[in-house]
Amino acid sequence: MRYVSAVIDIAGLVKIFGSTRALDGLDLTVEAGQVHGFLGPNGSGKSTTIRVLLGLLRPDSGRATLLGGDPWAEAATLHRRLAYVPGDVALWPNLTGGEIIDLIGRARGGLDTARRAELIERFDLDPTKKGRSYSKGNRQKVALVAALASDVDLLLLDEPTSGLDPLMERVFTEYVRAARERGKTVLLSSHILSEVETLCDHVSIIRAGKVVESGTLQDLRHLSRTQIVCELDSPPTALAQRAGVHDVTVDGHRVTLLADQTQIGAVVGELASHGIRTLTATPPTLEELFLQHYDGAR
Amino acid sequence: MTRMSLTGTRLLVRRALRADRWFWLVWVLVLWSFLPATASAYRAIISDDAAGREVAVGLASNPTMRAILGPPYDLLQVGGFVMWRVGGFVATCAAIMAALGVLRATRAEEEAGRTELLRSGAIGRHASLAAALLTATGACLLLGLLIAGSMTGLGTPLTGSLAMGLAIAATGVVFAGVGAVAAQLTSSARTARGMAMGAVGAAYLLRALADGSSEGSGLRRLGWLSPVEWAPYVRPYAGERWWVLIVPLVVSAGLVALAITLESRRDFGAGLRATKPGPAGALAGLRSAGALAWRLDRGSVLWSVLGFGIFSLVIGTLSNVFDQVAEDRTLAERFRRMGGGAKLLSDAFYVAMLGILIVLIALVGLSLLDRLRREEDSGRAELVLSTATSRTALLRAYAVPALLVPVALVVVSAVLLAVPQAVRDGDPGALARLAGAGLVQSPGVLLIVALAVAVHGLAPRLRWLPWAVTAWSVVVNWIGGVLGFPQRLLDATPFGYLPRLPADAMSWTPVVVECLVAAVLLAAGWWGYARRDIT
Repeated sequence: MRYVSAVIDIAGLVKIFGSTRALDGLDLTVEAGQVHGFLGPNGSGKSTTIRVLLGLLRPDSGRATLLGGDPWAEAATLHRRLAYVPGDVALWPNLTGGEIIDLIGRARGGLDTARRAELIERFDLDPTKKGRSYSKGNRQKVALVAALASDVDLLLLDEPTSGLDPLMERVFTEYVRAARERGKTVLLSSHILSEVETLCDHVSIIRAGKVVESGTLQDLRHLSRTQIVCELDSPPTALAQRAGVHDVTVDGHRVTLLADQTQIGAVVGELASHGIRTLTATPPTLEELFLQHYDGAR
Repeated sequence: MTRMSLTGTRLLVRRALRADRWFWLVWVLVLWSFLPATASAYRAIISDDAAGREVAVGLASNPTMRAILGPPYDLLQVGGFVMWRVGGFVATCAAIMAALGVLRATRAEEEAGRTELLRSGAIGRHASLAAALLTATGACLLLGLLIAGSMTGLGTPLTGSLAMGLAIAATGVVFAGVGAVAAQLTSSARTARGMAMGAVGAAYLLRALADGSSEGSGLRRLGWLSPVEWAPYVRPYAGERWWVLIVPLVVSAGLVALAITLESRRDFGAGLRATKPGPAGALAGLRSAGALAWRLDRGSVLWSVLGFGIFSLVIGTLSNVFDQVAEDRTLAERFRRMGGGAKLLSDAFYVAMLGILIVLIALVGLSLLDRLRREEDSGRAELVLSTATSRTALLRAYAVPALLVPVALVVVSAVLLAVPQAVRDGDPGALARLAGAGLVQSPGVLLIVALAVAVHGLAPRLRWLPWAVTAWSVVVNWIGGVLGFPQRLLDATPFGYLPRLPADAMSWTPVVVECLVAAVLLAAGWWGYARRDIT
């Protein structure tokens, strides 16, 4: 089955390097127009997935569709419609940043010179410096300018903000939002949760080569627990035994607990019967979502 | 320079010995092995009778041999013969070893950013340079002592063996200094390597010119300007002139002092001159992998055309020596017998020179192709492949120049080699004849580059294989016959079966076969490259 609107559609992808299964049955769907966060710690398989999508690696089994085509067989033609920013950008030591931006842009099929000038200005990049003399952050900017200056349907960004200062991260955020407004699709791999939380409407969490959670941020929050902190007149004693309630701590009148999203109504009802003085309920942050998946595995 | 600036040198020497142990060990052992091997083959070449003595006299007066190998002093003794036949060659190689070794521990490390980490610790400004120089000097001395020890063990006089070992070691030390200076001049390790190798090439050329010119000619004195000529000038086994060793000692001390002064004046990571800003945008032509490859390689291609061109032209002028020799009929007759059956003395000369040049040209082709591997290792190939560039286009961008540039170099070198003779004899046909002779040898280079393409596409781990084949070809073409290897082994290079014009008769079969094999290897490499992972 092939989704017509899916820009990226991966099913059961397996990639083995020697004795390690870098990808172990990965499923991932990115619909057109999504800014899709691809979350996972180092070594979980994010870059491997992107390299399969770029046709650099040949999957051992499974299926991957990119922009309606085969990322391996049709690599060169598909790449006219996408731009890629690697996490660790290596530049040619003797070429200037400006030359590299032009080379990459033209080799992709052309770049918008007005947008190029604007991006260089906004990212505060000196395009006359040689590749060898850029710092890590500036190398990253060269790749970002080259990617964002092209008019493409899909941006594949592999930890694109590593090395950028907070000011430049903001510029980056702005451009990704602008791309979404123009109807572009973005796959943003990252381990910086705040970045994903501000930018992405969809999130997939990858662990050990498998996507363990995927959906809108809203959906994901529903799947997990809300933290409730309250002060009660008479704290109940049997709360910890209730289904859907976890990590109960009682400190005098103060009670802290985690409630499953489905049980919130019932739990609050029970608390009410003990006389609520104050109550705060905090939905899980992405960080907690993320840690829940990773801590749970250990 | 203060003591502080050397803090940590000992630590760095230990680190260098560990990180580069294979580099030094392989170089030292391989270079050393030439001398005892030649000594053992001595009696097979120069027999202990009148015929042997005649061969020795003939060899000693052959200007081609002198130009390639250096001045002979006493060929009637094992030691003197070994010094002449491989001593100069090993000294030149020791120069290459020392310069490359110093650069790999200094500029290459600095460019890769590893020195920065060390310098942030308790490591002085000059410690890394000092450690590299100490390691290189140690390796040269080890080579010298191995040579002296083994040659003494084989029964040659102790003084001569010691003189030969020290003379070769001293040549290496001078070029350790050359490497140290080159490391300061430029921020790119590749350019620094080019400079150092250019210095070795110039030194070799200078001594070839000095030794190849006729006796009494003023050119002979030029030899003193060539650091690779000082080792033979020590005259090991032939009335040692120990004082000559002072020259390399003084020169290397001067080079080291120069390098340290330069290092004090430059910023970390920079060359002597600050990197100038470049254009803010690319020229209209820089739009594909092919254009990029040419942009990256054009500098080294132009330098190699220039280098090979000058070398060939200068060496070509030696052909006038044959006119003088040819007047002495008996001498001329003896030369003809030694020139591998060549009917004309000059033919033997051209065959020998083309043989020397072609293996070096093969190295140029390999290093051009090697850039593709470095593009992949650095992750830059990934960036290019993420654009609308197919694997075929990427491979083609580096394989085409790696195949064509060497062929062009062969033709240029061959033509320039023939220019002096063509001018002298008013015979422009000589240019075409030698160009043809060069072209007939070029399938060997194509075969080597095609092998490298096949390896890169099918089994990148075997990337040493084409280099090893070329190294073996260098050994065979430069000093082959003397080591007493069986002919089958000597023929087993990509050049061994190709006809050596103008001395041999033309035969098309090996030329066509090697071109076909090269085509098959290229196709296989392309097939593999289109299918394998790029990591």
